[in-house]
Amino acid sequence: MILTVFAFVVQEASGGVLSQMKESAKHPDLSKFLVIGAILFIIGVAGVLTRRNIIVIFMSIELILNAANLNFIAFSRYLQETGNVNALAGQIFAVFVIVVAAAEAAIGLGIVIALYRNKETIWVDEIDLLKW
Amino acid sequence: MYRYIWLVPILPLLGATINGLLGRKFRFSEPLIGGIAVGSVALSFLISLAAVYSYGFGSNSVWPNAYVTSKDGNSFNWIPGGAVNINLGSEARQAVELDKERQKKLAAMTPEERARPQAFAIATFDFPRSALLNIEWSYQLDPLSSIFMLVVTGVGLCIFVFATGYMHGDNGFYRFFAYMGLFMFSMLLLVMGSNFVMMFVGWEGVGLCSYLLIGYYFDRQEAANASRKAFITNRIGDFGFALAIFGVIATFGTAQYTDVFAQAKDYPLELLGHWGILSWIALGLFVGACGKSAQLPLHVWLPDAMAGPTPVSALIHAATMVTAGLYMVTRTNVIFQHSQTMMLVVALVGAATALFAATIGITQNDIKKVLAYSTVSQLGFMFMACGVGAFAIGIFHVMTHAFFKALMFLGAGSVIHGMHHEQDMRRMGGLKKYMPYTYMTFLAGWLAICGIIPFSGFWSKDEILWSTASTTYIPLGWLVWLVGTIAATCTAFYMTRLMAMTFWGKEKFLEQPAGGEADEAHASAYDKGLASHDAHLESAGDRPRHEPGEHVGPVHEDITTHVTTHGRGGHPHGAHLPHESPPSMWIPLVVLAVLATIGGFVGISPAFTGGKHVGGRLNIVRYLDPIIWNPATRYFGSEEMFDSYGKRLIFERAELTLTTLPEGETQKLLAGPYKTEGFNLAHTIESKLGSETATEWLFIILSLLVAGIGIGLGLLFYVKDTRLPDIWAERLRPLYVASYHKYWVDEFYGWAITRRTMDAARAVYAFDSKVVDGAVNGVAWLTRGFSRVVGGIDKYFVDGLVNTIAAFIMRLMSPLLRAAQTGFTQNYALVMVLGLMIVVALFFAGDIAGDIAAALKNIFALFV
Repeated sequence: MILTVFAFVVQEASGGVLSQMKESAKHPDLSKFLVIGAILFIIGVAGVLTRRNIIVIFMSIELILNAANLNFIAFSRYLQETGNVNALAGQIFAVFVIVVAAAEAAIGLGIVIALYRNKETIWVDEIDLLKW
Repeated sequence: MYRYIWLVPILPLLGATINGLLGRKFRFSEPLIGGIAVGSVALSFLISLAAVYSYGFGSNSVWPNAYVTSKDGNSFNWIPGGAVNINLGSEARQAVELDKERQKKLAAMTPEERARPQAFAIATFDFPRSALLNIEWSYQLDPLSSIFMLVVTGVGLCIFVFATGYMHGDNGFYRFFAYMGLFMFSMLLLVMGSNFVMMFVGWEGVGLCSYLLIGYYFDRQEAANASRKAFITNRIGDFGFALAIFGVIATFGTAQYTDVFAQAKDYPLELLGHWGILSWIALGLFVGACGKSAQLPLHVWLPDAMAGPTPVSALIHAATMVTAGLYMVTRTNVIFQHSQTMMLVVALVGAATALFAATIGITQNDIKKVLAYSTVSQLGFMFMACGVGAFAIGIFHVMTHAFFKALMFLGAGSVIHGMHHEQDMRRMGGLKKYMPYTYMTFLAGWLAICGIIPFSGFWSKDEILWSTASTTYIPLGWLVWLVGTIAATCTAFYMTRLMAMTFWGKEKFLEQPAGGEADEAHASAYDKGLASHDAHLESAGDRPRHEPGEHVGPVHEDITTHVTTHGRGGHPHGAHLPHESPPSMWIPLVVLAVLATIGGFVGISPAFTGGKHVGGRLNIVRYLDPIIWNPATRYFGSEEMFDSYGKRLIFERAELTLTTLPEGETQKLLAGPYKTEGFNLAHTIESKLGSETATEWLFIILSLLVAGIGIGLGLLFYVKDTRLPDIWAERLRPLYVASYHKYWVDEFYGWAITRRTMDAARAVYAFDSKVVDGAVNGVAWLTRGFSRVVGGIDKYFVDGLVNTIAAFIMRLMSPLLRAAQTGFTQNYALVMVLGLMIVVALFFAGDIAGDIAAALKNIFALFV
């Protein structure tokens, strides 16, 4: 066991996988961001589908949106490096998404309050108004 | 200035629109309505005056050429390009082309060759079979339209001013002036349009306005009937006119006057008995003219049209609209002159109408009826002039007639007004004491229509009679002259009778109560409660305001008392003394009287001035000359004009014609192209006397003589010995009765046409109600039965089947579908995400699988 750890450390010291990872963390490439974005998105979707508390669902939605934002920013950076003139569009779009998210949150929370006043609950499995 | 002629018709239309649309809603006062109407017409008169001056007499005058506004781009393509077939008159076109060929060959020959008899190879020509018809909306200013513009707006202005006084107090004041303005617009359109279609629009427009204004007192059965009669009779004429327009388009491929006449002038003449295409067109046009200008046999509407207000009678049924037929015949004189047959027809119809109407005029008692028949008769004179080729003289008579007949109608209106709506001359008499202005002006009109030198009527009527006697256009000129002379005698007689019964002699308005012939219609309408008694109005034109019994009672001797009590209403309405009309009525009379007196000098007879038409363009005959086609030279304008404005404008080809023909043929050409052998009155007398001037003087003396005889007889019968009319009426009983009943033409039409039409209508109605309706009802019954059967099948079989299937599906599917709808948002979101995943999976199936495999391999490689 110790031998193994030692071998690993030696290996790392001489430029092994971990140092490679450290190196690539300093200079991340596009795919990593996309992966993170995808993970965030999946977490968000899972939250929306599984959570009962409407507030948490909102938070999950924010996750989804931010996953998208992350993608925008990542692509924007990537395009900047490739010298594309439209590279800034992604960043601008991210700002738009944030604005929309803020507005959506404001309205959504308003709806939640109205809902609570009427139904005395914020648990979505107790709300089946769409059936009617 | 002539470039602004498009304003002339627009202004009255504008006035009419304002009065008609706003007059009632905003309760315009009478001065405002009158001001708008008179102002618009006055403005249009001034513009016409300036335009005609600059057209014909100014420094930049374009006379003798026509000015069409489209030349300056002031037009729009009203009926744009349709292809029309040119399928009429190809023989005539063939002849025109052959003639051109012949001229060309002759021009190339030496004089010796020309002298020999010629044989020309017959060539055949290929003509375009269709043309692109563009009808533009543009106005034409030429000698003819300028005269009509001045007459229409000038005389119209006088009548508008008169009407403001005459219609004072009428409930429909705004309506009256709206119609009158609309009429002015239509009439100006008629005379100013530059093509046949525009003339037709104006033609129908004046017909409509005539209908509206005759039926102005539409609550009177008589007026409503008269308006319909006028409208329907005119439709017959318009039918002919419309056919002629189609004929023109199918022959010449255009409707523009200038283009049509430029083509038509080269067409071969169609001599007596030859019915070529131009004869048929002329026939159609003449049928239209007969309808509008009240010629036999379509004259019946004009006397009835007197049911309209008197200014209407003066403007529409004497001075302007009824002369539209003359305008049209003169405008198309090229076409008419090509057809000797139609010239003869025009002359004979004119002569017959002149005599026919004049004889009826002798026995009528309604002052307006006498004037109406006089108008018909005078129109007959004008057509006589056109028929014998003296178109300019015909237009001259239109002008003088507009002056004196408008004057007399307005005078009659003034009399009716002063007599409190009395139209029967038997209840007048001695009016000259009470109505001095009306009397003096009427005197001028009377002398003018009788043909007393130097009043305007003399010049034109004398010229007409001279033209008929000396015509080389048609045979039978002597007959036309004879009939015209007799009609002129009758005219002088009945106009003297009118003067004597109205203005001279015993005052009969106090003796005989109203309610005779003229008022019968009114009285019966009042009895039936159709017409309200509106005696509280100060004046209401021709409107009947007194029922028969009402006039007997105390006489208002003092006119001022009468006037003051008149407006109060409900006073015991006794017989009135007549009174002079207000200045708004007699001032137009004075203007027209001056015109009727001196208006004839623009066409002073050549006999007075050494055998020539003097005065240059100021002479109406010379002024009109450029629009009159000359069959001798085949160009516009007469030989007399040849010297005055030279060859340059009109005679370019005539010169060639004259010089290239052999000597004998040139002479023949100048002598007159029509075959008019047979008795010619003037030429016979001329050969006896040996001088044309002497012959003309003889005819002048003769025409003065017959006027004198007519007047003398009138004075003898109605002033000197007033028993004579009754004695002679008894002696000539059949003639008297025939004339009194207007030769039973109305009765004949009623029997032959109206009754037959009604019978036919009844038969068709019976057929419709029995056979057609029966068939329709039978089919309906069958359909109903059939539909009951089909309905049963549908109800029990088809519906049953559908319901069964529907119920089955409903029962089967609904639990499934219902279960899917949980109502929980997350369920829906889950389905959405699943769907998304499926789509993505399907779309990227290969890539994703590859990626996952690669990722797994990488992860595996990381740790191994």
